[in-house]
Amino acid sequence: MSFEEKSVWVEFVSYFIGLGGYLIVAGRMLSNGVSALPPYVPVFAVAVVFIVAVNIVGHIVAAATSRSDEVDERDRLIGWRAESGSSWILGFGVIGAITALIFSVGSVWVAHLLLISLFVSEVTKNVLQIVYYRRGI
Amino acid sequence: MARSRVSIRNQIRILRFRHGEMTQQQLADQVGVTRQTVNAIEGGKYSPSLEVAFRIAHVFGEPLEEVFQFVDAEPGRRG
Repeated sequence: MSFEEKSVWVEFVSYFIGLGGYLIVAGRMLSNGVSALPPYVPVFAVAVVFIVAVNIVGHIVAAATSRSDEVDERDRLIGWRAESGSSWILGFGVIGAITALIFSVGSVWVAHLLLISLFVSEVTKNVLQIVYYRRGI
Repeated sequence: MARSRVSIRNQIRILRFRHGEMTQQQLADQVGVTRQTVNAIEGGKYSPSLEVAFRIAHVFGEPLEEVFQFVDAEPGRRG
């Protein structure tokens, strides 16, 4: 497995657990009627620290167990295709958030709509990259 | 518009064997790609750019068409 593929796995795990975990906790808070943003900030900060820490440790391990950290044309093509196959999700999220703001939906919902679309977009990108690396492109 | 099924076959494995059992890593180093990319090209999972295809052919000292062959899988046509 190349450094780039390991890097994709690291990103996938960090986002899936970090941001996914945050969204589960935030979902429970929302269902309990927490409608102000400040209580979510420390939970989100923990998620961000977790994502950064997993990425740092994961990339150190990936670099230590890989022969080279160079990116070649196949890595770039896989990255571009995965990006084009997933970026529309974040785009829809942004449009949805703007629409929600027009209809005066609460900021806590708008923020989480953006976070959910970011989460789904990133995880989709990573999954597409892994599929392209495994099955071919 | 229907996309015809095409594939690019290659003789990289045979050529590596003929060149003293050259490893995928040795070929990758000479071409300037990762070993995984050479493995993907050899296994038909990735069609390289023209530049990389020429570099591979250059390493083996063969013309491009001796290394890569275009095969049109559409019935009734020959590549």
